[in-house]
Amino acid sequence: MEPDYLATVLLSSLSSASILLIATLGLAVVYGLMGVINLAHGEFLMVGAYSALTATQIGIPYVLAIPVAVMITMLIGGVVEVLVVRRLYGRLFDTMLATWGLGMVFNQGAVLLFGTVSPGIGMPQYSIRIGEFSLAAYPLAMIAVAAGTLAFVYLLLTRTVYGMKARASIQEPEMAQAIGIDSSRINMLTFAIGTGLAGFAGAVLLPIIPATPSMGLFFAVKGFLTVVVAGPVALTGTALTAVGLGGGASVTASFMTSVIGDVFFFLATALLLWLYPLGISSKWRRKL
Amino acid sequence: MFKISNATGGYGKTIIIRDVSISVKTGEAVALLGRNGVGKTTLMRFATGLIPSKSGLVEIDDRTAPPAPAKRARMGLGYVPQGRFVFPRMSVAENIAVAAASNGHDAKETIAELLLDFPLLKPKVDDLAGGLSGGQQQILALARALAIKPKILLLDEPTEGVQPSIIDEMAGVLKRMNTERGIAILIAEQNLDFCLSIADRAYVMEKGSIRMETDRDRLRHDKALQQELLGV
Repeated sequence: MEPDYLATVLLSSLSSASILLIATLGLAVVYGLMGVINLAHGEFLMVGAYSALTATQIGIPYVLAIPVAVMITMLIGGVVEVLVVRRLYGRLFDTMLATWGLGMVFNQGAVLLFGTVSPGIGMPQYSIRIGEFSLAAYPLAMIAVAAGTLAFVYLLLTRTVYGMKARASIQEPEMAQAIGIDSSRINMLTFAIGTGLAGFAGAVLLPIIPATPSMGLFFAVKGFLTVVVAGPVALTGTALTAVGLGGGASVTASFMTSVIGDVFFFLATALLLWLYPLGISSKWRRKL
Repeated sequence: MFKISNATGGYGKTIIIRDVSISVKTGEAVALLGRNGVGKTTLMRFATGLIPSKSGLVEIDDRTAPPAPAKRARMGLGYVPQGRFVFPRMSVAENIAVAAASNGHDAKETIAELLLDFPLLKPKVDDLAGGLSGGQQQILALARALAIKPKILLLDEPTEGVQPSIIDEMAGVLKRMNTERGIAILIAEQNLDFCLSIADRAYVMEKGSIRMETDRDRLRHDKALQQELLGV
């Protein structure tokens, strides 16, 4: 096998693992950290994508459309936390039903507003050559974006006062209040950061994955599996799982077919959950 | 300084404490005694605001306390719960830092001060709190409560499941906090010796009410009272 072909496969697989990680980080915060099953996560990603698309259509440069999408999804996330999620903490099944319904509303709202087919935005036409192969640069840049986003979330939650308050409020809610933390405000912010990360994913992946009302489903399924396999050490576990499962599936797909790649993903998930029912990180002594 | 007046409350529709009134003066250490299940923990949780009040009033630092537990903490109410409840996936340093920072105190300074008071925590400062032994967690829960720089400290069964050497250390620190820094203390306990070494005065609870108020000397010498009230 040619070394340049191998390098191409590895790079593009790392890139698809990174895309999975970008789409999953919001879930790692909302489900992995907070324990809230937000079945509307994929729809938040979709809202982020449409927000960025609409922003570019009214003339805002794409680079600025991304923060616009993050702000919109954070805002909606904050409102959803106050109106729905806050009332259902600790009621897993009710939360699932409520957020599932919310997802349907978002989905149908997008169909009504934008129709089922929407124009993509052009991918920046840069590419790099490896031997006789050529790879588009934008998907490769997602490796750096994933690493950067992961580092940002990690530092936000471990090195800032907000991050300590957020983890304290999640781990022992009553004691967090008893030492002076306004935990309902902090939980709202944490949920909004999670949905904002979904919005960021939708916006930053827009050149690769065009906005459609049902785009969220694909990421929601793989994202949830990734976070469940990751277990309680939400961020490190999710990063490792996304690279392992997403990268592995992509390598498999390059040598065989994309269907077999997906089969690899689901079989590996089943195997890992059989070996580690509480997630691969259940015995790790790490904060995050 | 700290006062609970006519407290009535419980869980859901079940009333556990009825019309309880107690007070702690500035710099005073008071014990709350009574057998298991008489409502000591419920009274503590009533004082912190963690259970809603059916009726009654809490005053901290001579001001009426608002219902929110976080606001009560910022008024100077420190709380060490029964069962410790440290933040398990946070380091020892973070457990203290988050309490200090939430009340506007410098986190690094507070950690340094408290490590002087609790040298036992020093080698564990970067470990996750969930990995500490029961006694170490109890010390950490105490350090966390002190990190808010409380005016009144509530302790709920702090010696439960803790080894004797750590109980002695805890008694020493509490005595010092009380006499040197003037922190008022209200301590619910089964361990009478521990209580007597710290508190000057005691309330005795029975069936959700205050049965009597007594002082250290009477408690220490009246064996019949000890037997009757505490089963010791």
